[in-house]
Amino acid sequence: MKNSFSLKAGALLTTAFGIILVSGSTGGLTFAQGTLPAGFKTGALAPEPSADMIEAGKRVYFTKCVWCHGVDGAGDGPGADRLWPRPRNFNQGTFKIRHTASGELPLFDAKKPTPGQNDLFETVTHGLPGSAMPSWEGILTEEQRLQVLSFVTTQLVKDRKFTDKQSESQTVLQLGDLTPIAPTEESLKKGAELVIEKKCVECHGADGRGDGNAFNLKDDWGFSIQPANWHKCWNFRGSRQDPYNVKNIFRTFSTGVNGTPMPSFADNSTVEERWHIANWVNFLCEREADGKPLAIDPSADKPKINFVVSSGLAVGEISADPEHESWKNRARRYVAMGGQITHKPRNFVNRIDDIWVKSLYNDTHIAFMFQWDDRTKSVAEGKLPWAPTSVNVDIKEQEPKTGEEGSIASHQNNYTVYNDAIAMETAVKWKELPSPIKPRYLFGSNEQFPVDIVKWEADGSLRAFKGTGWDKDFEERLNYEENIKILYSEWKNGRWTVIVQRPMGDKKEQEYDEDTFFERGQYIPTVFFAWDGHNGDAGRKMAVSAFYYTFLEPPTPREAYIYPVVIAFGVVLLEGWVLTRRSNKRKGKAL
Amino acid sequence: MKALMSVAALIGVVGILLLAAMTVGIIPSNTVRLLEGYMPVQLVLELILFVAGFTGISYMMAAMGMAFPRFWQGILMWAFVLLYLKFRVYPPIPFSVRAMYGAVSLVAVFMWVSANEEDWKKFKQPIMNVLDAKTGGIRILRYAYLIILPLLIGGFSYNAMVPKSEEPIELRTVHPAPPASTKVHGKTYTLQTSQNPYRINLEGKYDQDYSNAMTVEQGMGRLMKPNANPWDKDAQGYLKYVREGGEIFYQNCHFCHGDNLNGRGLHAFAFNPIPANFTDPGTIAQLQETFIFWRVAKGGIGLPNEAGPWASVMPPWEQHLTVDEIWKVVLFEYWHTGYYPRTWD
Repeated sequence: MKNSFSLKAGALLTTAFGIILVSGSTGGLTFAQGTLPAGFKTGALAPEPSADMIEAGKRVYFTKCVWCHGVDGAGDGPGADRLWPRPRNFNQGTFKIRHTASGELPLFDAKKPTPGQNDLFETVTHGLPGSAMPSWEGILTEEQRLQVLSFVTTQLVKDRKFTDKQSESQTVLQLGDLTPIAPTEESLKKGAELVIEKKCVECHGADGRGDGNAFNLKDDWGFSIQPANWHKCWNFRGSRQDPYNVKNIFRTFSTGVNGTPMPSFADNSTVEERWHIANWVNFLCEREADGKPLAIDPSADKPKINFVVSSGLAVGEISADPEHESWKNRARRYVAMGGQITHKPRNFVNRIDDIWVKSLYNDTHIAFMFQWDDRTKSVAEGKLPWAPTSVNVDIKEQEPKTGEEGSIASHQNNYTVYNDAIAMETAVKWKELPSPIKPRYLFGSNEQFPVDIVKWEADGSLRAFKGTGWDKDFEERLNYEENIKILYSEWKNGRWTVIVQRPMGDKKEQEYDEDTFFERGQYIPTVFFAWDGHNGDAGRKMAVSAFYYTFLEPPTPREAYIYPVVIAFGVVLLEGWVLTRRSNKRKGKAL
Repeated sequence: MKALMSVAALIGVVGILLLAAMTVGIIPSNTVRLLEGYMPVQLVLELILFVAGFTGISYMMAAMGMAFPRFWQGILMWAFVLLYLKFRVYPPIPFSVRAMYGAVSLVAVFMWVSANEEDWKKFKQPIMNVLDAKTGGIRILRYAYLIILPLLIGGFSYNAMVPKSEEPIELRTVHPAPPASTKVHGKTYTLQTSQNPYRINLEGKYDQDYSNAMTVEQGMGRLMKPNANPWDKDAQGYLKYVREGGEIFYQNCHFCHGDNLNGRGLHAFAFNPIPANFTDPGTIAQLQETFIFWRVAKGGIGLPNEAGPWASVMPPWEQHLTVDEIWKVVLFEYWHTGYYPRTWD
């Protein structure tokens, strides 16, 4: 009885207080109308989560989160020093993805996971693609996600208070009320002009590949940070597992990214301008040839992978011009790249996370066109301290526990610069390998089952090696190098395009023990390697793909035109037989 | 009966609409999620619901005087199973497997429609009608079939003969037979008799019951037991070693095996085979702790010959970690997933 009374009294009090507050804030609104950015409205602070929620959240935090975010939430858990981006330091209350104005705390209400009203809940639910923060949907229940956030926002955010009306305000982007402008040609044109006018390109680069003059940027904690590459929208932290949704871009552009050099553009751009820019940025994201978004694998939040790189038959010489019809008409294949984490020195942060591959072949040669995004063109100064054939080069691996100063996130912009490079590894005696036909993954099995490696480097070299094991230095194939050729290589606006041509190989003419024989209609195990010179990549510190298959599309055999006609004719005869039989039977019955 | 059937019909309609909308993408395709580890049971349950739903729909339609011919029922049921296998099941199953399931369900549908003489007659009636072509409409239909069938079959056979590049299917032994013993850092460990030196009770004795009582709770979230926090400053013995194992895990292993040990780490998307999912009851829960020790120490490169394709990027951790660190990581993996290592007896 007493309880219910105090509850009622409390409710009454809050209501009264709320009325005063609301009237106050509306008063403020009319007063501050001029200063409120377009598309935003003043919101109310969420109530403090209950003590039960906080206590339950502690249990979630110390099971799942502490490993990266640390005991005090300072982003210094055991995993932090080998991660880039580094795990969030919660103490300052600085959060990247929000609906609130620049510098404000994000939206979080422990009671109400309403879409658009609960930034932190969405971050935990969808994760932050492109970083180590995974999606916790399906792992933690909604309740558990709200609990852990109750704990984080009240106990681990130490310098600010989510419920302090004196110091905190909420100016909320009304994304639900704003209708996107259709991405018409006109809108895209305006967007393309606006990204120059608003100086987006100064950091994000002329083509938006994050290659602007921003390599030494730092975040609020002094860690290296780089502008987003607009062509990989699935890596946008705020993509909410819906990367081609223009609203996510609009939101990030409107609210800015707290703690980073990315400002909010709400004050100096109209809502309409922001939609044009968002349309343009969204348009730049990689797409299928017909303009449709790439299919995204929901379990990885990256484009779906097909492991067959098919090579098309070219008429005559293979063109050295990437803009040539024969190359433009070829379908490209997305090759996912991970860090080489099998042998020392492991590459925990691979800056090249995918390459696009096309291939053409003619009677004598096969050519591969590699295109990959790299914010920096890297060519080593002077001679490298090791031979091109060296595999065990002296590169240091990131120590597991270094503290902030020595962490991988601190020195992303000051590695010794080596050559950007790309290489492909193909199995040599793939026909003799026991099924399934693959040699040992990294640089071949042994002398008996070696691999054929062709490596291009940004210093303009193209070399061919024989690999016989992950720790064995390469063997050079000198006479073979006369036959391989760089058809094209260019770094432009954050993207490398390299076309490499090599002989098809032939059992009779080539040295079969060293070279891969590219046979039509067969699946030839192929691995791709990539090095980013500014990431200090050299030797085994590199990005690697899984095993793909190179497949030379054979011309359609003549049988494919003859047999179907024969079969169709057979079916006609069969039909005739059935019909005659049926009608005879019926006649018999009728008689 | 009618009430029951109308409920079933409702389930059927809602189910089909939901499935169709999820396939086409009108509503998010994860509206009804397939849960890891429970997927096969879930799929079977879903199919049972759908069969019940169809029965209901067919009953209701008959009751409303719009009886659906048995012939079309059979065909639709089969088509449904095929579409379900193709679009609902994730990750997608290869065509050859789908073809097998398709053949089995075709036989099942056939048995259903030919269960008794009367049903069989009902089933083949539409075919006979077309063959007999007694009315003008059906006669046109018959000619249409006469032309379309050979074209279709010819087209299919052409399609089958044109060279295509589909990923070859790879079979791999997921849990190869372990050796009797393994040598790590110069010391030989017999898999049958070795024990995790950190799975100990407060007296320092190997004690699996003690550690099993301290692992995380099964059920959604897999959270730690309230009184068993490895981050407790006073944590001793087993729990302390769990924390140390966790530290090693998040410095080395999560890049592939993921923050939640579900095989979805940062680099996982690039690799094939994909990293093991420890939360799946088919991985570490099925194995002895010493087996894990052996696999962790030797990695993909140390797989026996029968365990091809040797495309795994799993590092031979003896190159990176000490034996103690490996044991602690193994300890942590069991703790964090809430599974008990299998014992030899």
